[in-house]
Amino acid sequence: MPVLFAHLMETGFGGFYDGIAHLLITPVDLMLVIGLSVLAGQQGPAGGRLLLALLPMSWWLGGMAGQWLRFDTSLTALTTALLIVVGVLVALARRLKAAVLALLVVVAGLVFGLANGFTLPVAAGMSLDLLGVVSAVAVLVLLISGQVVVTQRSWLRIAQQVAGSWIAAAGVLALGLMLKG
Amino acid sequence: MLRRLVLPLLLVVALMLPRWANAHDLFPGFLELKATAASDYQVLWKLPLFKGQRLPIAPRFPDDCALQGGLDSQREARALVVRTQLQCKTPLEGRAISIDGLAAAGTEVLLRVQPWQSNTQQTLLIQPEQPSATVPTAAEAAEQPGVWSYLRLGIEHILLGVDHLLLLLGLVLIVCDGWMLLKTVSAFTLANSITLSVSAVGIVDVPAGPLNAAIALSILFMGTEVVRFLRGRTSFTLRHPWVLACGFGLLHGFGYARGLAELGLPHHELLLALLLFNVGIEIGQDIFVLLVLGLQRSFRQLQIRWPVWVQRMPAWTIGCAGAYWTIQTTLAMVTGGA
Amino acid sequence: MDRMMSLQGFLRRLLNGRRWWPACAGLFTLLWVLVPGAQAHVEAGGAGSVMAGFLHPVTGLDHVVAMVAVGLWGAVLGAPAIWLLPVAFPMVMAFGALLGLLQLPLPGVELGIALSALVLGVLVMLQQRLPMAVAAIVVGVFALFHGYAHGVELPDGADALLFSLAFVVATGLLHLVGILLGEIRRWAWGPRVLQCTGAGIAVVGVWSLIQVGGA
Repeated sequence: MPVLFAHLMETGFGGFYDGIAHLLITPVDLMLVIGLSVLAGQQGPAGGRLLLALLPMSWWLGGMAGQWLRFDTSLTALTTALLIVVGVLVALARRLKAAVLALLVVVAGLVFGLANGFTLPVAAGMSLDLLGVVSAVAVLVLLISGQVVVTQRSWLRIAQQVAGSWIAAAGVLALGLMLKG
Repeated sequence: MLRRLVLPLLLVVALMLPRWANAHDLFPGFLELKATAASDYQVLWKLPLFKGQRLPIAPRFPDDCALQGGLDSQREARALVVRTQLQCKTPLEGRAISIDGLAAAGTEVLLRVQPWQSNTQQTLLIQPEQPSATVPTAAEAAEQPGVWSYLRLGIEHILLGVDHLLLLLGLVLIVCDGWMLLKTVSAFTLANSITLSVSAVGIVDVPAGPLNAAIALSILFMGTEVVRFLRGRTSFTLRHPWVLACGFGLLHGFGYARGLAELGLPHHELLLALLLFNVGIEIGQDIFVLLVLGLQRSFRQLQIRWPVWVQRMPAWTIGCAGAYWTIQTTLAMVTGGA
Repeated sequence: MDRMMSLQGFLRRLLNGRRWWPACAGLFTLLWVLVPGAQAHVEAGGAGSVMAGFLHPVTGLDHVVAMVAVGLWGAVLGAPAIWLLPVAFPMVMAFGALLGLLQLPLPGVELGIALSALVLGVLVMLQQRLPMAVAAIVVGVFALFHGYAHGVELPDGADALLFSLAFVVATGLLHLVGILLGEIRRWAWGPRVLQCTGAGIAVVGVWSLIQVGGA
């Protein structure tokens, strides 16, 4: 399978900022982080805290493993499937058990981290690119889930569900295109 | 018990931090090519010095070009300046000039070309990721003014300048209400714009050594003020943070200017370049301040209560980094290594 | 301000005085002329760009009309349908598209699409409310058909996800247009305009049916 989403952005500001840019221009990663943040925000402040504690850490671990393994695949089917799951859960706006949410977050973080690790450049020692990606993940998670937690208006809550539905639908379509292609 | 372990550990981390974060040691190189005939050029090459050593970078011209006459080199405070002549068979427009060793050196080179019988200079920024640049032809040059690279340089200067960011972080931490924050940030912006301008134009010349030490000292001072604020005490600067911001803004503006002054700004595009560089710096600063405010807001929204030692960590980081840089720059000033 | 009032008064007189039929007839004629030119989904455009994905759903008139009709009918149904619809529809449609992409058989797709415009148009014209479950099934089946039709003809491309996202967003925005249009029922003359629009949509449906029958 070709590496579909390997946008390797070079900002010229060094690896850390390249990593941030990489997250922001990779649609599947960005959509997953937004989806998970909304999902966690829908569970209240505790959900947001759980996400903040687990996602960056698992993403980083996955990324380290990916940089070490460096398989020539992009895990696209797996990442898209996770995206669909997250999108459907956001659209349903259900309360989840903390353990279920935690499992989902850790699996998503590890898989997306791995996929990033395969494509991100490897540096000796600590990779600034990966650090940039993980920092951007943490910041996005904080900003979005914090905002979702305090959102009270009903139409904004529906807008969140619609966003989840769009993420899921786009994931399903993309999966279909991949299976066909 | 935990505290006893964590404290020294943090101190070590904070002291290690500036080693890879000190942005000021790397200056861009500068290569100027002025045409003296159709395909003959007068070359000015400013090779940055890193801790007194020459950076291992060198320009590579197309194969039909040859250097003419002797090399006239002259050592300045932060750079080795080389003047020579370059003779090519055809003009350089539309052809690539690369910089050898740029990727390893991790700095950038500003390339400026003035074609034969032309008053407009073309400015290009050559970066480690792509260590070669094509001199634009006259038509291309008319489309895209190279002066925009100064905007980028400004944003980059602030985003990679950890010392400036730490000072800003401290300012945001000690200001509680929005109105005061606006006043403080405006004061900082205004002050550093003034000194950046006067210094870049060359009205005021501040020696690098004492300036570095003063900037480092300002960060150390900032750290102590944040700690004072966290302990619930007060002081003149905590009651009037905009005064502090104004003073430190003046100081850091000189710091910003040095990033620019070393490039040797051309006189005809000086004001525009200066403005763009300044705007770039402001963009970077505002992004950072907004990000810090957004994160603080999110912490409240998610009802995250950090342990005390985490709450104090930013203050310690600022203080430790300030202390480290103060010692480092003072030593450098005394021994003349800077 | 005066001019606004007079315009409103004119519209009110126009609509209340049974003289709105000529306006409806004019709208029909306009649609009748426009439909043949705008029919058929585009084939052009690779999946590589956001633009292609965004334009794909808005270039086939039958599809556009059906999506707007879904939004309009959602507005007629009121809560909870009006907010359930934009959440559920994209996912059902994407499922239909998945079936289409995998070339799984689904009978009567063209007929279903033509019927969708007709049925939804009539429902909007009559301002017909149905029980929630029935409404969900009706819209769900149509969503499946539309998705399937798109799925069969989606181009291959490199950036599948971006294309898909743009596609879904465009469809969602069409719903939004329908829902916002539906909000004009709050004005005194709103329901009449809505009924006219519904009738126009039904005409497009009839026209599509003729096309399907002729093919």
